Amino acid sequence: MDALEGLARLARKAREEPTPVFGISDAVRLRILAESPQPVTLIPFGLFGGLSALAASVTLALAVQFWSYMSSPVMELVAPLPEIRLW
Amino acid sequence: MSRQMTNALCYCCPAEGTIESPGALLYNTSVENTDWSDVTASVKGDNEAYGRLVQRYEKPITGLLWRFTRDPAQCEELVQQVFVDAYFSLKTYRGDAPLLHWLRKIATRTGYRFWRDRAKEAQETPLPEFDMLEEIEAVEEDRIDPAEAAAVLQALLSRLPPDDRLVLTLMYFEECGTQEIAERVGWTRAKVKTQALRARRKMKEIAEREHLLERLGWTL
Repeated sequence: MDALEGLARLARKAREEPTPVFGISDAVRLRILAESPQPVTLIPFGLFGGLSALAASVTLALAVQFWSYMSSPVMELVAPLPEIRLW
Repeated sequence: MSRQMTNALCYCCPAEGTIESPGALLYNTSVENTDWSDVTASVKGDNEAYGRLVQRYEKPITGLLWRFTRDPAQCEELVQQVFVDAYFSLKTYRGDAPLLHWLRKIATRTGYRFWRDRAKEAQETPLPEFDMLEEIEAVEEDRIDPAEAAAVLQALLSRLPPDDRLVLTLMYFEECGTQEIAERVGWTRAKVKTQALRARRKMKEIAEREHLLERLGWTL
């Protein structure tokens, strides 16, 4: 008998081997849940954006208000700052 | 070759026809209605339906992966991996072949990846199973325990590189022809034939070196 024939004969017998049964249904379900991509929620981004817009609006309102008090904004920008006595 | 294999293994990539495509519905006739309804329900998020599919096909997939590793823990892990991968690729299943064929493809490629990863570790596979041949007193084929025969054959196959081992495993254990192997693995039929020829030659050398026939008492 040829070695290859022997291997084929061995394979014929090996195919009769019963295979184990694991019962993996629940484990698969858990793994699918764990590996599923979580939906991205937009609430934190919306909240952050809203707060930023509010802060920007307050800053703009104050800036316009102070701007209107200046007689010559350009001159005041380039003019040296007056010395202030701190004590 | 490995790049070619990697591309061929890409069953996770979206296919042209998704499960909702009109073309896909035409394929539906070749699939069992129960499978198809469970597949569509699973795609819509019905976990119970997918659980039914897992229960239905766990046994044949375990049987296939048992040829890739005889370690029950590793085998269970691989079977789970197959069904997890299948779940996330379920939208690409078009129903042009029975679901079991599709699952077998995924399982074959999962097993092949497992071997390749282990081959990278470059560990010499011991052959403790091969020593059990000494204990086999029976000379008749019918008297050899199938589990022992499988262990010996797998120990011999494990001495081959993953590509050769894959082809011969599918030939010996699954009785696959070259066309079926080509479909499962994603190679051309010509490549499978060449690979099989080379693998059988190597396997013959290994069997002769290990005096397989003498040990089995099959020399006559």
